[in-house]
Formats: sequence, structure tokens, C-alpha cells
Amino acid sequence: MVKYLGKRIFYIVLTLFIVSTITFFLMKFMPGTPLTNQAKLTPGQIHQIYKQYGLDKPVWQQYLVYLAGVVHGNFGISFQFSNQAVSYLIGSRMGPSLIIGGQGMVLGVLVGLVVGSLGAVKANTWIDTTATIVSILFVSIPSFVLAVLLQYYLGLKLRWFPIADWGGFMYTVLPTLALAASPLAETARFMRTEMVDVLSSDYIELAKAKGLGKVGIIYHHALRNSLIPIITIIGPLTVNIMTGSMVVENIFSVPGIGEQFVKSVLTNDYPTIMGLTIVYCAMLCVVLLITDILYGLIDPRIRLSGNNN
Amino acid sequence: MKLNSLAKLGGVALLSAVVLAGCGSKSSQSGSKKQTLTWTTPSNIATMDTSTMTDLYSAQTANATNQGLLQMAPGNKVKPGVAKSYTVSKDGKTWTFNLRKSNWSNGDPVTAKDFVFAWQRTVKPKTASQYAYIFANIKNAAKINAGKMALSKMGVKAEGNYKLVVSLNKPQSYFKFMVAQPEFFPQNSKVVNKYGSKYATNAKRNVYNGPFLLKGWNGTNDTWKLVKNSKYWDAKAVKMQTINFQAVKDPSTSLNGYQSGKFDYTTLNGTQVKQYKNDKDYKVNKEASTFYLELNEKKDPIFKNKNIRKAISYAIDRSQFVNKVLADGSQAPKGYVPDAMSERNGKDFADQAYVKSGVSYNLAQAKKYWAKGLQETGKKSVSLNLLSDDTDGAKKSTEFIQSQLTKLPGFKVTNQNLPFKTRLSRSQNGQFDMVISAWIADYPDPSNFLDLFTSTNSYNNGKWKNAQYDALIKKSENQDANNEAARWNDMVQAEKILMNDQGVVPLYQQALSTLQKSKVKGVQFYPTSPQYGWQNAYIK
Amino acid sequence: MADNAKPISAGDFKPVSAADRGKLDSEKISAPSLTFLQDSWRRLRKNRAAMICLVILIILFILAFGSGFFETHNPNATNPNLANLPPKIPGIDINGFNGTIEQSGTRVNAYVQAHAGNAYYILGTDYLGRDLFSRILYGTRISLEIALIASFFDLAFGVVYGIVSGWMGGRVDTIMQRIIEIMLSIPNLVVMVLLILVLKPGMSAIIYSIAITSWINMARLVRAQTLELKNQEFILAARALGESSWKISFKHLLPNLSSVIIINLMFTIPTAIFFEAFLSYIGIGISAPQASLGTLINDGQKNFQFLPYQMWYPAIVLSVLMIAFNILGDGLRDSFDPKGRE
Repeated sequence: MVKYLGKRIFYIVLTLFIVSTITFFLMKFMPGTPLTNQAKLTPGQIHQIYKQYGLDKPVWQQYLVYLAGVVHGNFGISFQFSNQAVSYLIGSRMGPSLIIGGQGMVLGVLVGLVVGSLGAVKANTWIDTTATIVSILFVSIPSFVLAVLLQYYLGLKLRWFPIADWGGFMYTVLPTLALAASPLAETARFMRTEMVDVLSSDYIELAKAKGLGKVGIIYHHALRNSLIPIITIIGPLTVNIMTGSMVVENIFSVPGIGEQFVKSVLTNDYPTIMGLTIVYCAMLCVVLLITDILYGLIDPRIRLSGNNN
Repeated sequence: MKLNSLAKLGGVALLSAVVLAGCGSKSSQSGSKKQTLTWTTPSNIATMDTSTMTDLYSAQTANATNQGLLQMAPGNKVKPGVAKSYTVSKDGKTWTFNLRKSNWSNGDPVTAKDFVFAWQRTVKPKTASQYAYIFANIKNAAKINAGKMALSKMGVKAEGNYKLVVSLNKPQSYFKFMVAQPEFFPQNSKVVNKYGSKYATNAKRNVYNGPFLLKGWNGTNDTWKLVKNSKYWDAKAVKMQTINFQAVKDPSTSLNGYQSGKFDYTTLNGTQVKQYKNDKDYKVNKEASTFYLELNEKKDPIFKNKNIRKAISYAIDRSQFVNKVLADGSQAPKGYVPDAMSERNGKDFADQAYVKSGVSYNLAQAKKYWAKGLQETGKKSVSLNLLSDDTDGAKKSTEFIQSQLTKLPGFKVTNQNLPFKTRLSRSQNGQFDMVISAWIADYPDPSNFLDLFTSTNSYNNGKWKNAQYDALIKKSENQDANNEAARWNDMVQAEKILMNDQGVVPLYQQALSTLQKSKVKGVQFYPTSPQYGWQNAYIK
Repeated sequence: MADNAKPISAGDFKPVSAADRGKLDSEKISAPSLTFLQDSWRRLRKNRAAMICLVILIILFILAFGSGFFETHNPNATNPNLANLPPKIPGIDINGFNGTIEQSGTRVNAYVQAHAGNAYYILGTDYLGRDLFSRILYGTRISLEIALIASFFDLAFGVVYGIVSGWMGGRVDTIMQRIIEIMLSIPNLVVMVLLILVLKPGMSAIIYSIAITSWINMARLVRAQTLELKNQEFILAARALGESSWKISFKHLLPNLSSVIIINLMFTIPTAIFFEAFLSYIGIGISAPQASLGTLINDGQKNFQFLPYQMWYPAIVLSVLMIAFNILGDGLRDSFDPKGRE
């Protein structure tokens, strides 16, 4: 286990190193400058400012300085927010994103599990068809369309939820719903397939033969055994949530990090783009590591070892 | 209102506490309406450090929380601020400001030294201010900024605590507007030194001398508020107790928030304007900014031909453009310098320098000039790209201009919409055929616009050249600089030359269409930065 | 016992009579021999939902790629005087199709307001007065083109990567798998955004960045399948016969991988369409005057409150496209699944 962990952590570090290197050099190829006020500056002044930010040094020197900073959790100073450390910027805007992302994930997965297992248990009935339609519909609507519809109908027309602000649980409801759609659909589809497989397996037949009740079988055997593989899709779902949060935060005015990423991209705020890329990547790595460990702990058939196979 | 909705929600303790605190201070008001309102901005505050500030929304906030020597007043005028009066020497090069006794929010007196400190700090190379150039006309500032001279040599001196003497390189009649801008605000050296590089990165690491105090801004968040500053010298004139701010980046979200009663102000885009044109809350504020087309004469010699330039200008139906396409209150331009910005003896600059042919639409004329131009340049067809930003407005513009220009026989136009900064660097490096540029006034003086098209200016992206134009601008800056009438006349002539020669193709003058609850009174709109002022606002 | 065996004589054999020959034939496989794909097709045909989706997709493809024939107007012809007109179909007088729209609380006839005369647009016009129906057809084409080309690259690269990794095994496989693991832990959207910025926004940048980030799934699936096939008898036989690795992968592996590849493709295409829409929303999608479903929806969502049709129609087309691809993908998976054979 220790060996396995060590190896995984080594790979995470390697991944982060590669990612920071690639992002750094991509940024150097990026057209345009980061200056917010370039229109009114002369080349001489631009040079002066570059010097202050250390952008006049050779690229390899900038790279080394940057890497050294990253090791210490220092991603430099944001270009949009002057004198604001990127790490502070990320830290201070991470909270709302984690809240709506977490809620969206939990809601999506839980409802997805219910919808998926209902579909499997009642396979080929109208319930199954409805469940399938719901899950396919939810993967087929872009999150920003869903967000616009939710805001207009539930927020503005019906006034069920407050909009255009942040503060308190009620404000998180609509963004959470918008984010939950995609994990819900994915989980439901995955769960249905798994459950159908499990329900037709030998041990379920045996349980039936022993005369166990339907509810008991589903609860004690089918559900538990189909739940395990769900852990494997948590990683991809996390990526979905990250993507979704970039648009959902913008529409619902959530002061989060996804919206900030988009803004940084559009304003050439290199340090923030680089910092956020690394943070996104690190978060995903950690989620993948945790799911793998969990998977090993829950499913006795899989033992964590240093081997690849 | 806010309290109401929060109570309904069962709200978060923290927020309720903040709101209740706001209510508490209100009870002292004698029975009038709650003096609080909620304002939206499309962007959050980038910094409160007036030395490194570059964006409008930070400047707007700084303008509400701090004050310079003078302050902007309605009608593109200035009124006394920290300085109660000022005198200008005969040669126009020495400005002396007499400061009133006023205090910072921490109790320190605001002195002339605070101004010297602030201005020097902005110009100091180490600060890397992107706005240092604005001090260029102050003696030695440019050299200091380039690192070639000691800071103390800068032409701004404190004589005692309450007298500030500024020496300029050249007379500058509009210097009075400049000292009202945030870059010229005072800074409290004690506070700046205490926080070092962290100065003004959140609401607490700062000190204020303006009508309001900034609260609840942590440096990166989307909500903050302005609270009345009881230590402000003119505090009795300030009626608003609290102004809540919220950065809402999506225009439809902002409008939805307005409709649900959450906000008292929102800006509108074209389609939204159509719905609200007759609403009593609807207001159009004309900005001192012009959008124009630059033609790259260096890359495409065909644009050196005046007939071609005229053909392009004639081919664009500006009234259809602003009324049908943009439809956001923007107006067809009267020329390159926007109107309602500067006037002399009751006459608007744009009216005085009006050249009809430079901004009107006439497709028949356009085709005539086009054919003539093609003949002169020996071309049959032209295929060029049209560069602009990738914002909604810019996309609309390029698509419209493209459709207009392709009506000229043999003219093929491809559009290129790039992110703002990429577009900027391309226009400055001359990597374009035609580009839609915009200029927004820093201060209400035509020179702010006209300077751009002198042949050596780095923002003359199209490289249009005219010796007569250059001479007039030079004259206005030198021998006529201290003679208001002659200077004005030089500038009017220059604008006329620019328009007659079609050195630039003006497209439209931008306006801000807004909804503002009718109970909100006294909010001042300025066509130039900082756009809005709230110190006289009140709720009726 | 063997000693007791009765020697066989010629008399023990009888010639098969014509009647008996008929009996022997009953052992013959009477059903027509079907190849794998034929068999799958047969099963797919029985899946009604999948077939409907297939038909819908074919119709959409024809409409999109033959858009020149179906467009009622030039998709890029602007007419600002007729901007933002709601849908109008002559002869139908139902709100939503009769050219009227809510304006400041009252329903007005936008066509009369704009002095449109006899002109009509069945799905209305956009902010420059372009025909929305034609724009949607055109946008669908661009979206499909992006998705198809990106999927093609993704297919080509992913399949080769997967086969090489699975076939070679050993150290090569280990290294290639490590690379995939690293790629997997980078959020692909972030990579995509960075790539587009560097390559400057436009159709080719979008295609490249989608292709570069989406081949991993394909590679993993193909590798897993290759590993399984590698040790099966027919491959062993081919190897024993001395076939070259190239020939084996083309003649034997690829046909057997086809089901995995086709199924995965059915899910890659809608993902690519989705990504493109997402990129349009954050402002780095296709540049004007080109349009994709993503840019159309994005333009529409801004004015959803007042001109809802501008978002609804492209969004419906996008969703139908997504649903059709997904259901068809599911159907194909079922029909390719050997367990499902009758």
C-alpha cells in the first residue's frame, strides 16, 4: 500500500511538473500582451513594465523562477488584479465553486443512482423508458442552456429561488441544479447497465432460489455490487463539473473560480491561467487517487500493488 | 428590500448582520426613506491602488472613496475638491493649488505632501504603473519614469502642508480635468508604507478621503459596498448611507436581477433596449467615446488613395447601424471627436468641426469614388480583412460593416474577431488591413482624441499622414497652448482636415443604455471616466 | 475385446439412397450465413428507437450538408431593417408562428413594425436580419463538420495508439500507459482552451484541440480490446503462419475492433459538438460570420427573455442531434454485443 501510494504520488508530481511546463511554454506562444492598458502605452513604457514583472529575462530563466515559485505554492502576481497573489485569488474564490460543485456532484450522483436502479429493476417498462429519456435528455442539453432556462423560469417567473447574487443556501440551489444534470445523467446510465448485469448474475439467481424477497435482493445484493463500479466514474464526473462550473458560475453570478478562469483566458492573465491550470490538474489527480484507493478498499477483488496489472 | 428577501430566506447570519448594521446607522436619519441602493457593475474591482489602476470600474470606486484636488462636475466641468482654489501662472506652466483642511478616514490630515507622495509613487519606475504616461507633461516626470532622473526632481512640490505647486513642461488648459482623475489622487504615505506591496489589495488595507468608505471588498470578490464617510469634508452633502455593489458579468442575469427587484440599476444591450425604450426607468447616457475604422496605408497602399477612403466612408449607413444593428442608444457620429464632450462659448466642438461628407452615407457616391479610386490605383478587385474584438458588439459591427462594404463592386471582406488584447497588439504591429478601433476620453478635451492621428503617434495604426494636420496639432500644443481661442481654432481646423481627407472613418459614438429605478435621484453621469458619481445621490 | 471385434466387410456398407440424402441435409445450416456486421445490422433494425434516431440523423445530415438546396435565404445575407423578427409561417395563426411578439407587455406584429411587406421567415431572423432557419442549417453543418473531422483525427490517432500499445506490450505498453494516465489527469477543457488561444480562435484550432484532447478514451478501449484479442487462436494462428504484425493488425485486429471503434465514435461525435458549443459560450468558438449551433445558441441565450425563439430552435436541433447520436450509440452497443445474439 505504502509503495503503491508512493508510486502514485510520484506520478502526480510528474504530471503536475509536465502540466506546469507545458502551460508555461504555451503562454509564451500566446498572442497579445497581458497589459490592461496597452492601448495607451508606448513601447518604451511597455518594456519598462515588463522589466518590473521579470518578463524581459530570457525564457528559460523565467521558467526556472516560475517552477521554483510553483514548488512553494506561489503562482506569481495576477495581471488583472494588481498586486494580488494568484494563490490568494484562487483561494478566495475557490469556496463557492467547491460548494456548488460538491452539491451538484452529490445531488447528481444520488438521484442518478436512484433513476438508474429504478430503470434496471423495472427494465423494459415505462419507468425504464422514462429513466432513459431523462438521462439522455440531460446529457443532451448544454449546461448553459439549462442554466438560462432555470434562471428564467424558476428564478424570474416563478420566483422560487433568488437570482443574481450569492450568500446563503437558497442562492446555491439553481447553480447546483444546473451542474447536477450531467452527473445525474451519466450516473443513471452507468448504474442501469451495471445493475442489469448484476441482476442477471448467478448469485442473484441463487438468492432468488433461496426465496429472498425482491426488496431484500435488490438492497442487499444488487445495489451494493453495482455501487462499486460507480466509484470509477467519479473522476470523469469531476471533470464535467469543472467544465460546467465555468459557464454556470457566470450565468448565476457565483463568485467562483471557474468564471475567473474564463475571465483570465479572455484577458491574457498568464499567471492566473497557469496557476488555475495547475490547481485544476492537482484537484483531478487527488480525486482520481482517492477513488482508486476507495475502489481497492471496497472491492476485495482488486488489490492495490505496485504492479501495473 | 434586501432585508426583506433575506428574512424570507432565513438568510445567512453573516449577511443579515451586515444588513442590520446598515439599518442601525440609518435610524439616526430623520424619518426619510432608507438611503440605500444596490448598483450593478459588469466587472469586479481590480485594485484600489490609484497608482496601478487601469480599469474603469476600479476608477469609479476610487472616485467615490477618494478625492483629488478637483472633482468632476456636471457639464464636463470641474469643481473644488481637496483644493478649495487654484491659480495658473501667466505662461500657463505653473499651477498652484490651495488645499482645504480635510482628513483621511483614519484621522490623519490630508496634506500637499500626500499628493507629492502619490504622484511620485506613480511615476517611479519600480511601481510599474501603466498610467505613468499621463504625468508626461509634468516637469521631468517622463525622465524619472524612464529611470533617468531622481524622483525628487519631479515638478510637483508641497509648500507647507496646504499648498501644492505643479510645474508643467507646456501649458495645458485641460490639466484641471486631469487632477480630478484617480491617478492624481493623494495617497497616505503612512498607510502605503505600512502595507507595502499589499497596499490597497483589499478594503481594509487602504485609507479614504472621499465621500464614501469601501467595505466588504476582500480583493477578489464580486460584492462590496460604499458606506458614507463621516470624516469627509463635505459629509453633510452626502445623503446616501449605503450603496451595495454587485459585479454581474452576464447582461441577462443583471436584467433579471433588476426585474426581480434586487438591483436598482442595470445596463441594457440592444435587444433589451427595444423592450424598455418607453419605460420610465430607461436612461441613455452618451459617452465621450468614438468607434472608428482605421485603414492600414502602410500594408495596403490602396488606402493611400483618398477616393478609396471616401468610398468606404460613404458606403457605411451609420444611421441604420446605430438604430437597427446596435440599437443600444449609440448614435451616428458627427465626426471623429465625440459630441457633448467639450464646448467653447456655448458651441460644441463636434458641431463646429462638422464635415458632412466625412460621416454620411451615399451608396451612389461611394460607388463613384470607388470606381475612380480603383482606376487610379490600377486595381480591379480588392480582398481584405476586417479586424475587431470578439465581444458581442464588435461582432455585430464587423458583420454589419462587412455587409456594407461588400456592396462596393469587387470588394471582398473577411472578418477577423480576436480577443481584445490580441486585437490590440495586431493593430499596433500593423498586422491588419482594416481595424475597428475605439477611443474613450481620459479627460474632456478634443486634444485627447486628435493627438492620436499625428503621423508619429503610436496609436495611429493606419499610418495616415498629413503635414498640415501635424502642424496644427503642434501649434495647439505649443504657441497656442496658452491661448484658449487660438488653440480651439487649431483643433477645429485639424478635425476638419482629418474628416475631409477621411484619415479615419468614424462609425458611431457609444452610449450607455440603462435602467435606473425612478426613486433613485441625483446619481451623476460623466461622459468621461469615472462615468458615475454618487455623492449627491438620494432615494426619494 | 479387440480380439472379438468383427472384421468389417464391404457388405456392411450400403450406398446412401436419395431419400436418406435428404435427411442428411437437415443438418445443414439453413439460415443464410451472416457476417458480423450483417448480423449486427439485423439486430439494430429490430431496435426501433435506434432506427428512428438513425433516420433522424440521416435527415439532419442531408439537410445540413445539402443546405444549399433547403435554405430559404442566404444564411449570411444581412438585412438590419428586418432584424430580430419572430417566426412567421404564412397561413398559420398561432402565437409563435404568426410574426407577433411580446414587446413591453403587449403583443405586436413585428413584421408590420419593420415594414417587412410580404417577406416571411419561418424561424424568424437574428440581430442582423439573417434568416434563422438557414443559419441553423448552416450552423448544423459547421458543427457536424467540426465533430466529424475531430472524431476522424481522434479515431486515427487513438486507434493506432491503442493497437500499438496493446500489441507491443511490455515496456512500450507501460510507457504508453503512463502517458495516458498523465493525460487523463489533466482536465481536457483546460488544455483545449489553452490550445485555442495559442492557435488563435477559428475552426481549425477548435478541431485540433478537440482531437488532441479526446483520443485518450479511444486509445484505452482499443488497447483493452487488443490485449484480449492478442491471445486468441486466430491471431496465434496468423502469427504461427508468419504474418507480419502490420498485416495482422489490419486484416485481423481492425475488423474485430470495429465494434468498439464505431460505438466509441457514436459518443465522441456528440461530445465534440458539445465542446464546440461550450467554447462558443465562453467566447472562443467559431468566428463570425460563420456560425455553429453553439454560437447560435449563445447568441440566442443573451436575449432569451425577449426573443426566446432565437435560443429555442438551435438548442432543439442541438439536443435532437445529441439524443440521436446517444441512442444510436446505445443501440449499436447492444447490437454488437455477442451476448445479445439470438
